[in-house]
Amino acid sequence: MDEELSQIPGGPPIAVPSPQDPAARRVPRPLIETVLPIAVVAVIVLLLPLFIPSFVSSLVTKMMIFGLFGLSLNLIWGYANIPSFGHAAFFGVGAYTAAVIVTKAGFSNFWFSMLIAILATAAVAAILGVPAFRVFGVGAGAANPIYFLLATIAFGELLSRMAIVMRPVTGGSTGISGIPKPDLGLGAKVSADQYYYLVFAIGVICLFLMYRIVNSHYGYGLRGIHDNERRMQALGYNTWLYKYTSWIVAAVFGGVAGVLFAYFGSTLVPNNLSMVTSDISFLLVILGGTTVFFGPLVAAVFYVGVEYFASIYLPQRWPLIFGALFVIAIMMIPWTKGRYQGLGPEVLRLWKKVTGGAA
Amino acid sequence: MSQALVTGLNGLSYAFILFLLAAGFSLTFGVMGVLNLAHGALYMLGAYIGLQIVNTLDLFWLAIIVAAAALAIIGYALYAFFLKRLYGRVPEQGVLTIGVAIMIANIVLWIWGPRAKIMQTPDFLTGVITIGGLSFPIYRLFVCGVGLVVLGLLWYIQDRTRAGAIIRAGMDNKDMTVSLGINYGLVSTLVFLLGMALAGVAGVIGAPITGAYPTMGDNLLLLTLIVVVVGGTGYIQGTMLGALVIGLLDTFGKAYIPQVALFFAWIVFLAVLLIRPSGLIGRKVF
Repeated sequence: MDEELSQIPGGPPIAVPSPQDPAARRVPRPLIETVLPIAVVAVIVLLLPLFIPSFVSSLVTKMMIFGLFGLSLNLIWGYANIPSFGHAAFFGVGAYTAAVIVTKAGFSNFWFSMLIAILATAAVAAILGVPAFRVFGVGAGAANPIYFLLATIAFGELLSRMAIVMRPVTGGSTGISGIPKPDLGLGAKVSADQYYYLVFAIGVICLFLMYRIVNSHYGYGLRGIHDNERRMQALGYNTWLYKYTSWIVAAVFGGVAGVLFAYFGSTLVPNNLSMVTSDISFLLVILGGTTVFFGPLVAAVFYVGVEYFASIYLPQRWPLIFGALFVIAIMMIPWTKGRYQGLGPEVLRLWKKVTGGAA
Repeated sequence: MSQALVTGLNGLSYAFILFLLAAGFSLTFGVMGVLNLAHGALYMLGAYIGLQIVNTLDLFWLAIIVAAAALAIIGYALYAFFLKRLYGRVPEQGVLTIGVAIMIANIVLWIWGPRAKIMQTPDFLTGVITIGGLSFPIYRLFVCGVGLVVLGLLWYIQDRTRAGAIIRAGMDNKDMTVSLGINYGLVSTLVFLLGMALAGVAGVIGAPITGAYPTMGDNLLLLTLIVVVVGGTGYIQGTMLGALVIGLLDTFGKAYIPQVALFFAWIVFLAVLLIRPSGLIGRKVF
């Protein structure tokens, strides 16, 4: 990169942050602002199952899965400004692949199903990404990716139709049911209660990886594309490659969330691939905010909580509340320079207040 | 062969309903730059309003007028309160209108219940016309007729009137049109209302054919998106062509190869999006 930059006539390469420049690699943050809250949340989540009934811990499991799902979309929507209405396609491909491997193909190992699901999701994303980014800038430009949105809707619907048509493999419109609890190999079967810890462990690994990705040189490249794609191109970045690879990375994390969801609910329907599930992912992104990394995770806690209470008190009117959440999120959440504020920054502000402005 | 002719008429009437729906969507999309994903839900609302009026008052024409007016009002409220503030932010418009569509679907479920309802065709449109031993339902011919009238009207407005010239100019270069002192806001608002009213008309005259059920909005929205992309935005001819392709494909597909009918439509959609993103007949709107 340095060599390319220094060849730009008249452009002093010192002004451009290079990968070797530590200031560009990682914004230094105080210990109290990053490590302490993570440790507190991790300890709380780890100790929680000791104090709460198992149905609540299954809710927390769901929060973690949907949080991962929202975070994976945030990688492209929040960081690179690639809005997708079909993220459930990858969620569903991951879930269906794992489910088919476990229930139909006769392999019971959890890690094997996870690996194949990741490969399948990456392959599907790589295939769909080529046409999708062909129309990303067509006519509209990056600020108005209307055809891209329509294409992503089409991907989800196409895959869910395929799941209905391929009845022998995917169970048709009734889907796949009876997915067993994961088998970690070496005779270690995971019970319903222990699954909480498995999701937590995988969630932490994914969060760590995503955090490293968005705070790497690559991640800063994505933010640059968000703010000014033309300028990034002028600086010599292959922005198409950045967008295409980030799309695949986001798809893989979405697929992992899908695998966890498949084992969690033990039932899959074609709707897990279509718009109905995609709705949740972008609601989480907007509700959680895209200015902070963990925004969708906060939104997932909120969303699953609201859904649970609605399912107890107003089961008939849940879609009304769900739809209203979209309207409220879009109209109420401040939007500046293409980024949403949302619940994530609110939580951050609260934390700063609690720690007495030390951060 | 004879069966194919009857299926052809069914497909044609279905295509004209899709045309009414897609014309409204395409007008709001092309003229206002608004991505209204609640269009299918509004169509469904129109169908239910029409159904209610036909069942209680038994006045078919009144049902069409009331549904069209109601949807124009609702659509305008949607625009004035929400979409106006999201100018140029297409993903946000999409997210908002998805939320509105979910809410409308649930409200309809709340009021009218989950079961599908079939609207009785009015007496003067019931029955069949027999030509050469084949019987064609009058109502389907009527739907085709309404579709043709609307097509002619929109085509005339687009090509022969001052409003049409303003719309075409605005689609080519909005800033320039406005700077010439033309009240583009007024014309585009009127066009938006017209698009919404067309959804209401489509809802009422489509109800005897497609039925009315709370999840119909999603299905028809997806079909509308396919029609709009395949046909292209900006020209009414393009919308008609897209509606014909998808309507006939869907009807013949359902008749001869069920299950994969809509699957094919999505493949056509993706192919058009890749090869000609502006549609078969369309101008680059954005």
